[in-house]
Amino acid sequence: MAASLGAFVDRLLRPLHHWVWSDFDRRVRKLIAFGEVEGDGGRDILRAAELTPDPLLRRLYLAHAIDELHHADLFRKRSSALLRTRSARSSGLFDATPLPGGHGLDDLDIDGEPDHRLLAFLHVAEKAAAGRFAIYREVVDDDPATRAIFEEILRDEVFHMNYTYTQLARISPATYRRHVWRARASRLWKRYLRFAAVIAAVFGTVMLTLQYFVLVPPFAWLARRAEKREPAGWVPIPRERAESSTSLY
Amino acid sequence: MNILGISAHYHDSAAALVVDGVPVCAVQEERLSRHKNDASFPESAIEWCLDHAGLTPAQLDAVVFYERSMLKFERILTCALRSFPRSWRSFPHAIKNSLGEKVWVRGIIASHLGVPRSKIFFTSHHAAHAAAAFFTAPTRRAAILTADGVGEWATLTVGHGERRDDGRAGVTLVREIRYPHSLGMLYSTFTAYLGFAVNEDEYKVMGLAAYGRPTLAAQVRKLIRRTPDGAFALAPEYFEYHTTAARSYSSKFVDLFGPPRSSYDPIDLDTAEGRRFADCAASVQHVLEETLVDITRALHRETGLRDLCLGGGVALNGVANARILAESGFERVFVPPAPGDAGCALGAALYADRVYFGNPDREVPDHPFWGPHVDARELAQAAREDNLSVQDLDEPALLDHVAGELAAGRIVGWMDGACEFGPRALGHRSILAAPHSSEMRDRLNRDIKFREEFRPFAPVTTVEAAGRYFDLPPGGLRLARFMSGVFTVRPEWRSALAAVTHVDGSARLQALEREMAPRLYALLEAYGRRTGIPVLLNTSFNIAGEPIVNRALEGYSTFRRCGIDLLVAGPFVMTRRASARPAPLEEEIACSQSAAASGAV
Repeated sequence: MAASLGAFVDRLLRPLHHWVWSDFDRRVRKLIAFGEVEGDGGRDILRAAELTPDPLLRRLYLAHAIDELHHADLFRKRSSALLRTRSARSSGLFDATPLPGGHGLDDLDIDGEPDHRLLAFLHVAEKAAAGRFAIYREVVDDDPATRAIFEEILRDEVFHMNYTYTQLARISPATYRRHVWRARASRLWKRYLRFAAVIAAVFGTVMLTLQYFVLVPPFAWLARRAEKREPAGWVPIPRERAESSTSLY
Repeated sequence: MNILGISAHYHDSAAALVVDGVPVCAVQEERLSRHKNDASFPESAIEWCLDHAGLTPAQLDAVVFYERSMLKFERILTCALRSFPRSWRSFPHAIKNSLGEKVWVRGIIASHLGVPRSKIFFTSHHAAHAAAAFFTAPTRRAAILTADGVGEWATLTVGHGERRDDGRAGVTLVREIRYPHSLGMLYSTFTAYLGFAVNEDEYKVMGLAAYGRPTLAAQVRKLIRRTPDGAFALAPEYFEYHTTAARSYSSKFVDLFGPPRSSYDPIDLDTAEGRRFADCAASVQHVLEETLVDITRALHRETGLRDLCLGGGVALNGVANARILAESGFERVFVPPAPGDAGCALGAALYADRVYFGNPDREVPDHPFWGPHVDARELAQAAREDNLSVQDLDEPALLDHVAGELAAGRIVGWMDGACEFGPRALGHRSILAAPHSSEMRDRLNRDIKFREEFRPFAPVTTVEAAGRYFDLPPGGLRLARFMSGVFTVRPEWRSALAAVTHVDGSARLQALEREMAPRLYALLEAYGRRTGIPVLLNTSFNIAGEPIVNRALEGYSTFRRCGIDLLVAGPFVMTRRASARPAPLEEEIACSQSAAASGAV
């Protein structure tokens, strides 16, 4: 149900996706962000391959990680190629935070994560990503090279989706469906946490910015005055600093 | 006394343990967490250090953090105030960043380790650098210079260290240059301008510099003026790192040097733009070197000492180190294997032991291998489980076999003993190859390291053979011990050492003593017997963007993902071409699918 809800939301957001991908700068930024996310995800899965005690899972994780790192490479190369075609417009492009997207595992702690939870998480994440990439493939119709990348990735995602489910069923035959549901719930919870953290960060930034303009000016004036008195060049190191073993100053 | 040193929260966190005055182990968090330049609190590194020494946190006599976090916060706040109102964007970020975690480090350590607050100590950032450089160096008296981006306020310090006849030892830093005037930040600004990652890719600037000429040195000197007392000051109008977090150089900087390079554009040295970037790199490298040489020359005159210990991230600049050795007047220059922030964990622990607690000085083993040991059985087991062939050879046969494979142009992943502490692979977690042809360099860059073609590879040879192939000044062997100096390849050997000879005829040499890494030394001898040249190409065992491998399984997964031909760990050798192909994954999945189906039923 959660998956179909996600797909429904994605369908609703289709005009937004279209808007994002229709602009050159946003498209490049999105590809760069995907490259980073896929690379991070690949390294996490690689870590899982190095940690799992299950030989078959090790091979599958390794193959999966190689795919993800290859996807990262495809995204990077494509964004570079696009940038080379219109480099004049790209000034200031990377000052902003990349747009959200992709299906990285950056909020997943691989160390200490049992295989059944990881497989369930991967299955849900890959399924969601496959749905989204299918939409992206359609909205970049005007860009055959980018579309070809999504097509290739989608083929891999199908393999990833299938093997994660099959292996989950193999290692947890009695409870694999429950693990998948739990992974879906966990994804929703993590999304909520991320959203809450973003709201808290925005609130914090606004409050601090207000304080900056209200409280800081007199101290700024004093700090600038003090700066003018500071000599350039060598400054002797006070002996007491070297001797103070417990001071944070 | 059991003293744990910690560095964290900026980049490259680490932990080190000193027991009764002698380092027992040290490891960077990234080697365990597998996140490159991991800056988080080094929980895994601490856990490993304590496990390795068989200690519990309760048995620690002291935990020493490498920085005075409130002093650092004072600097961040002061800089934000000074640049009001331009700092309005960076101010909230800086406050949240510092007040969120970094200034509460005493509480963080106490809660993570469960040690009483009275056991938690602090050193200044540069004192930790200085201690890491001096207490690990085999010298009785030495001048000390530390230089990096910034610690608390200091960016460069000078002083001296001494081992006294009564057994006590100390480090005294006498003066400093303060933020924002920083050689490290000057170099990092050019690193960012040239489209590389700050705090990570500075060595790429050094590599690129060899392709350029310092035609822009006069412009760089506009950014950094010398003060009458022999120090330097940066011209603030060219920089923004002290006012905003968004960019480190100003528009005026761009006016002076031209448009910056996008990190997504490759550097094409055949174009005018590519050559301009190379000239920028050469120019900042040239000015960095001349400034360091001036300061160290004055330090030599002032102290009259023969030896110099260098610490801080700037000490990773091997070209500058070699010039300091050649021109400053010091006879020997010591650079520890981990001169950067990770090394501060060890430095902080040694500083507390010798200076705070006044314990007698103890000789520190002169090697970089303080990390986890490789468990070769892991490799053998993984190979068996994956249906790949692995050979179990005795030592002479293994060395002979590997030397033969290297001579035949194969690339070897080499894992041996404890992993290195610091950014250099010095023979325990290395990729080794024949150094003779430029094709080998290109193959390594293309198929294994996946990195820029302008970056050079380093050679390793025995100390006995080093002088034959490389032009080493007096003291050069010491600098080459931990790959800390760049020296000239003798012209007659450049074509035979093409893979490790940089475009300007130089190489960042490692000169190996038998005692330091006996297995690699024996391999060099075996290779020398076969080819007549006991020199190998030695590069870190990792792929671009990943930390150097630590465990055998990490070496194995790297081996499976790139073009390495042989993987060696302990007595086991895995060969790509001889390996039986593992069963196709689809076939295995089908088997497991039917097994799962029958299990589910």
